[in-house]
Amino acid sequence: MTLSDENNFGLQCQGVSHWFGETKVLFDLNLNVHAGQFLSLIGPSGCGKSTLLRAILGTHPPHRGKILTLQNGRLANADRPGRDRGIVYQKYSLYPFLTALDNVALGLKFDQTTTAFRWLNWVGWGKKRREFRDRAAAFLDKVGLGQAMHLYPSQMSGGMQQRVAIAQALIMEPEIILLDEPFGALDEATREELQEMLLQFYEENKVAMAEGKKPPYTLIIVTHELNEAIRVGDRLVGLSQYWDWKADGHDRSPGATVVYDKPAPVFRPDERPDYELFADIRQDIRQVVYNPKVLQRRDEHVNLSPTS
Amino acid sequence: MIRGPISQAKSILLASLSVALLLLGYTWVSHRQHQVNPKDTTIPSWGQLADGVKKFTQPDRKEERWIVEDSIATGRRFFYGIGLGVMCGFVLGMLMGCFSSLEAFLQPPIALLAKVPQTAALAVYFVVFGTGLSMYVAMISLGIIPALAVTVYLAIKDLPSEMLDKAYTLGASHFEVATEVVFRQVLPKFIDAVRLAIGPAIVFLIAAEMVVGDVGFGYRIRLQFKLTNMNVVYPYLVMLAFFGFALDYGLRFLQAKLCSWYQRDSK
Repeated sequence: MTLSDENNFGLQCQGVSHWFGETKVLFDLNLNVHAGQFLSLIGPSGCGKSTLLRAILGTHPPHRGKILTLQNGRLANADRPGRDRGIVYQKYSLYPFLTALDNVALGLKFDQTTTAFRWLNWVGWGKKRREFRDRAAAFLDKVGLGQAMHLYPSQMSGGMQQRVAIAQALIMEPEIILLDEPFGALDEATREELQEMLLQFYEENKVAMAEGKKPPYTLIIVTHELNEAIRVGDRLVGLSQYWDWKADGHDRSPGATVVYDKPAPVFRPDERPDYELFADIRQDIRQVVYNPKVLQRRDEHVNLSPTS
Repeated sequence: MIRGPISQAKSILLASLSVALLLLGYTWVSHRQHQVNPKDTTIPSWGQLADGVKKFTQPDRKEERWIVEDSIATGRRFFYGIGLGVMCGFVLGMLMGCFSSLEAFLQPPIALLAKVPQTAALAVYFVVFGTGLSMYVAMISLGIIPALAVTVYLAIKDLPSEMLDKAYTLGASHFEVATEVVFRQVLPKFIDAVRLAIGPAIVFLIAAEMVVGDVGFGYRIRLQFKLTNMNVVYPYLVMLAFFGFALDYGLRFLQAKLCSWYQRDSK
């Protein structure tokens, strides 16, 4: 299910192109993400998923085009990392010198207090810190880590670390959260648990929308597992360098762009999807996104709704 | 078995055995020497050593106890020097690690300074700073700054940029990234570097005291060695060893307290 509220953008990419010297990576990429969407980003290796993610994050702004996010209530250029975008990496996802609790509370501390306040107003900071820790503890409880709050990352399993990392990003409720193959290093069972956890947050979005509020969590998850993409996302976006650029008048590949953009089935957290039923979606994606021999017009499989 | 574990009792037993053997070996060598020459002072007997200890713990003709005045003089030189060196080394390392232009600017002098043997440069320090406290402080601090600064700035370079980028996404300012993310991760490695710097610092200090000191451990050791009063020299060496050991232990304790999360790679 997608949001119909046209003004509720989490992210807008307008004509984004990027290249490294002679190597063209991204070409004229347009992507609008609505608040509350869970967007699965897929594509063959080397198609520029990471480049796009870094561009959105703002560490490596694109050479051409604009990436806009809501910053302090207005759309602004995302040309450096900021509080409006969250990130969950596959590695280095947590600060090793903080416990799970303090890792989650860290963003609240950075965002809502200043160094001068913490150094000069000890009483006020003590009060704030208790408040932040309580909120972080409640959040960790929600993701099922109530018992592990006081562990350091080195004492946690990979799955627990990623849970904490997701909590660390989500508690900030940024406009958009980027997950860069967050479960890539985990085993199948742990992966599924974490997918369920993400779907629980999707449920919260649904509740907020039903109440007419802005959904709190918007995310882009990059994954190479098609089933994961289908299960977690409510929208599938395929990025690929395999499209019919000759028809657009290029004599060599100008880079990857969005070649597939369709809604995905939505699941409840406790629902174990029957992946057999999605054979045609997977087949479709393999043809359009992954197959170098199948070149189609770039907008052939992009569902053109008025806002995307 | 290679690297096979042993019980704690066994390891304590073996450790005390090695100490006992050392003491026993010394007693035997000293005894042999005194059979050849009963007045020998190069390998003093336990009785002679006790006399030596009395000599530096009792007031001398000037009503000064050597051990007290030497400890105060050497201790002041050492801690002022180490303190200044640690502060400058840390600040320089942080600046070099955080700002690439400062890194480029500061690298040549630091690399050069690191390669100059401090003991060989003593003459320069005497000429520039005289023979007072400032000379010792300058020598020790300049001697340890390069190693400390390089450790800090390499530790910062080692930090994955993901960790810094993530801090910005959590709303951190540049200053907060430096103090809350970079500093916290660099601290344990810096404490390790300070531990390693203590050895060289003591070497510089004792060498300088031997050449120009009029009080202090190096001065006393040189003077008593000229009189072949080894019963004073040996206890002084043992005290220096214990001093180094205590400092090292203290820093390890500090590291365990401040950075309980830190696990050394060698573990």
